[in-house]
Formats: sequence, C-alpha cells, structure tokens
Amino acid sequence: MSAALMEARDLSVHFSAHRGVARAVDGVSLEWRRGEILGVVGESGCGKSTLARALLGLVSPTAGAVASDGASVDGKAALRELRRNVQMIFQDPYQTLNPRQRVGTIVAEPLRVQGVARGDHDARVRRAMEDVGLEPGRFLDRYPHELSGGQRQRVAIAAALVLEPDGLICDEPVSMLDVSVRAQILQVLIELRRRRDLALLFITHDLSLAWSLCDRLAVMYLGRIVEHGSAVDVIERPQHPYTQALVAAVPVPSAEARIREPLSGELPDATNVPSGCRFHPRCPRRFEPCDSVDPPLLPAGSDGQLAACLLHDPQVAPDAVA
Amino acid sequence: MSALLEIRDLHVTHAGRPILDGVDLTLERGEALGLAGESGCGKTTTALALMKLLPGGFKQTGTMTLRPPDVEEPINVERRTEAGMQVVRWRHVSLVFQGAMNSLDPVKRVDTQIAQAIYLHERPKSAKDVGARIGELLTTVGLTPALGRRYAHQLSGGQRQRVMIALALACRPSLVIADEPTTALDVVMQAQILALLEHLREQLGLALILISHDLGVLSETCDRIAVMYAGRIVETGPVREVFAAPQHPYTKRLLDSLPVIGGSREMAAPIPGGPPDPGDLPQGCRFRPRCPYAAEKCLEDPALREVRPAQAAACHFAPWAEWPAAHEAAVEGAAG
Repeated sequence: MSAALMEARDLSVHFSAHRGVARAVDGVSLEWRRGEILGVVGESGCGKSTLARALLGLVSPTAGAVASDGASVDGKAALRELRRNVQMIFQDPYQTLNPRQRVGTIVAEPLRVQGVARGDHDARVRRAMEDVGLEPGRFLDRYPHELSGGQRQRVAIAAALVLEPDGLICDEPVSMLDVSVRAQILQVLIELRRRRDLALLFITHDLSLAWSLCDRLAVMYLGRIVEHGSAVDVIERPQHPYTQALVAAVPVPSAEARIREPLSGELPDATNVPSGCRFHPRCPRRFEPCDSVDPPLLPAGSDGQLAACLLHDPQVAPDAVA
Repeated sequence: MSALLEIRDLHVTHAGRPILDGVDLTLERGEALGLAGESGCGKTTTALALMKLLPGGFKQTGTMTLRPPDVEEPINVERRTEAGMQVVRWRHVSLVFQGAMNSLDPVKRVDTQIAQAIYLHERPKSAKDVGARIGELLTTVGLTPALGRRYAHQLSGGQRQRVMIALALACRPSLVIADEPTTALDVVMQAQILALLEHLREQLGLALILISHDLGVLSETCDRIAVMYAGRIVETGPVREVFAAPQHPYTKRLLDSLPVIGGSREMAAPIPGGPPDPGDLPQGCRFRPRCPYAAEKCLEDPALREVRPAQAAACHFAPWAEWPAAHEAAVEGAAG
C-alpha cells in the first residue's frame, strides 16, 4: 500500500487565550490518501479549520506530527516542498484575492514564489485557467472586483492548481456562493479529481454536501475526531450520538414534513473541555461512566467505521450497543 | 376573513433599471411564506419595499395593504409617510436582518436595547412593567432573563440571533420578516432557531415571511413558497407541492442541484451561467438563456398563472407532465 498523501499523527494545536488554554485540535490522527476526497465536518469552533492549517504548517502543532508521503514534515525545505504539493483555498473569494492584481498575475504568483522558470509561466497560467473554466482571453487582464463570486473562487482554484499539486485543501469553498454557482464550482473540483487524480480535503459544515461529494468522512467535536468512516456509512448510519444529532438537524428540501428535536445547548468553549467524553453534557444517550471516561475511537457499525463513544465498548455498555 | 398582507403589482426601479417587476403576494394571518431565489433576485428588495426602508435612489410603486387583527382600518403602506411608517414598523411588521450579529448596538446592554424599542412605540405604565416584559421576551426566545444584562460581544452567534428575534417581537407585531436568519449559523444552531420560529408561530399566532436561498430551510418552516428570479415571482404554491412537483424549470433545476441525504449521490448538471443584469434583461422569459427547455415561444413573456390547484408558474410549457431529458442551454460565457 502506498503511503498517504498526508497524515496527522496524534496532532494537537493549543492556543493560549484569556481564559486559559484553548485546545483547538486535541489529539487527532487522520490519513488523507492519494486521489481521495476526504471530508472533515463539524460545527463552527470544532477545530476543523485549525486542523487544515496545521497540516500545511500555517499554525505550529503543540504536540504530534504531520507527515507527507510517509515522511515527517520537518524543517523549512520539507515545508516548502509540502506547500508546493498541497494547496489550499478558502471560504471567502472576496477576501483572498489581491484587489490590485490582475487575474493573470494572481494565478502566476505561486510560480514566482516557487521559482519556476519565467518562460513557462504563461502556458501554465493559461492551462490552470482553462482547467477551472475561465477563458484566458477574457479573464487574464481583469481585476477581482470585475468578477462575480463564482468567478473569483475559480481564480483562487486556478492559482492553487498552477503548481500542479497532488492535493487541495478546501476550507468551506462554496458556503458563500449561491446554489447554482456552488454546483458549478463543485463540478470543477470533481472534474479535476477525475482528470488529474487530485486529492481533496473538504472542510465543511454542510453534511448533505459532504455526503454526496466525499469518499471518507471525519466528524470533529471540540478538537477531536468522534466518528470516522466512509461518507455513506457515517451520514446514513451514524454511530456516534453527536453525528446522529448533526444529521437529524439537516433541513431537507423534500415534500415530506418532518419533526425533529434539535440538539440543545452550544458547543462548549475549547478552553473548558468537559471531563470524560467531551460530548457528554449535550448527549441524549449518556450513561454512568461518560463523565469520567474519555472514549477512544472504537469499531462501530460497518466495516472500518469508528466512533468515539462508550456505547460501542461491549465491556462498558453490553446492552446499549446502537 | 381577509388577508393579513396583500402586495399588488410592486415595482422597484433603481436608476431606471427594474429591480422588482410586478410582484404580487398574499399572506394570511399566522401563515408562513418562504421567499426563495439566488442573490440579487429581489427577495430582500421585496422586504425592504414593504417596510419602506429602501435607500434613496430606489423608486417603488404598487399597493401594499396590511390588516393586522387588532386594527380596524386596513393600513395602506404605500400611502404612509416616513412618520406614519414608524408606527407600522416594529408595532405591526418587524424585520430580522441578515447577519443579525452585527445589528445589535455594541455599547448598550441587551435589555436597554429592547426597552428602547418598547418606549419608542408605547407608553408603558412603569419601568417595572418594561423590565418584566423584557424578561418575558427573553424567556420566549429561549434565553435566561439574566442575559439581558450582557453586551452583544458577550453572546454567542445563536444567542445574538435570539436577541434579535426578541427585539422583533417586543411590540407584539402580527408579521415578522426574517431575512436569511440562519445563514451565518451552523446546522445545530440553525435547527434551534428554526424550531424557535415555528414555536413562536404556534404560540403567538405570528405570520412569517422567511427569506432564504436555502430551500431545505424553507421546506421545513413554511406553508407556502414563492420562488423569485430576476425581480419576478416565477413559481408559487404550497411548499410540499412545489417540492414534490415543481412547475418552473428554474425551481426544478434549483432543487436538482441540492444533494438530499439518502437520495442520489450523483451530482446533477449545474444551471449554466448566472442571472441577468437588471439593466440588460433578455427578451421574453428571463430564465430563457439558461433554460434547457427554451423554445421559440419563450421569446414572449410568460405570465404567472395557475397551472395546478393552488400552484402557479410563469412558464409557457407548464404544467409539466414530466421533465424531458435536458439538452444543455447554450449560454455565452458559461463561467458563472
């Protein structure tokens, strides 16, 4: 088996805040395979964006390690090589593009930073733009303010692709876009994966989207992965009470009326992580040891599916298995 | 009983460009109507026109009649002056803005802001009465009264949205317009706010206009839905019927482009291109350049007409018995 494109090994990112230490990412191990679309889902503040940033070394891990192609990413040279091979796009295409640069300059920037020979720039910029459905002739000389939201996100993707990376981390890339534009951008990404075997790490709070787009899915809660498995299994047959609540909260555009009970309360502060299972204060199915035992990821449901919940520990909850 | 709100032939122009072009809407007491459509289609403009809050430079015509249950004479909104509107806003119709997070005053405590809204519209018997009512309002929206002592920055996003709803309810209006009330919130908080709105409708008999680009949100909260495109309503009807059997190609393609858990994971072909510029509208049906079913006939403007019981669509070919396999529309410059 070939090594994963990227891997987090027991990764933690802690920040010092007013009220103590915020455990944004708190012991995450995750494998992102080559050519795979991996989704990371969870509520705002669960640590999914911090995890993505830590993978690219944009924030320094407090503990644990990041590996690329099986080799630990250590030192400046390794980081530089990683950032050529794995790119990132962000949620807000209005804020990530330099307003004073033309599209052609923006897309060529990574080539300059990585020191690619000047003579190659033009052809590579044009190819990247064509890959995302932007005609170079029409768009090369435009400024970001002359573009629609969807076109700006295409420019951001083109700039990310110009170095022909193996992986692209997408942090909520379509959550600010309208339905029809959103579908167009997703089609661009799916097409890139099909044609170039581009691996995507998709960070989103949109569970329907994660379900339809991703191969595998990790659900995060307060800095931890609480469930992990194939996207279809995790969303259609969730095994962790938190995932079950998340899925139940998704509004469905359907002809049938539905009654649901939303999860009560809010995500606790990352400076004040509850004891035991961090979800226990909000969990509708908590039982005796949940406030004192921090559950590891345990086999649950289908093949390879994991859930960090004591309901799946036959020794603690022999009768309660979901 | 006559309708709570009737909007007839509402037109809004900006610098001569039509932003809204003949919008008709009726809302019964206690009813929840969803306004759907993508950015720039006129959803928010419709709400602002109803509140007469459009910025200078916009011109509006058309009639808007409000018949609150506790008022004898109907209110003709279009004839009201600014002073007259101040009586209507908050007291009869209130608006919860998009991005409510930023609509609270950062230097005033929550209870002070709610008290101001009450004093602006009523002469309460005593400060004690107002205090009690603020406590009641906060409880109604699911907050503890003690939160009234806090400032906006001390609240979470969901709590701020609840405060905004409490403010909207402060003068007991019969209609609340909520413009993308959950867009900035994630699924769990969104579900809580939607459940709250539903609860308030039942408890207070409130009518609701919910503006959202998220069809899932509308399907769970509304009785009826109106889909807007380029300044017009292109389809309207009971939510369940419209979602089960859409009668306008735009509605159909919008619904197709949303993945539904448990349905097909295959992504449908996106609607090509983007909505037209109001200063450069296509001839005939405004959706024609993006419509996979467009034909010669579509160069004529289709009227919004009833095509199934209670369901109306502005499409020459409606009612659609079935949707033919779509040939892709030829759109210039497909990048949206």
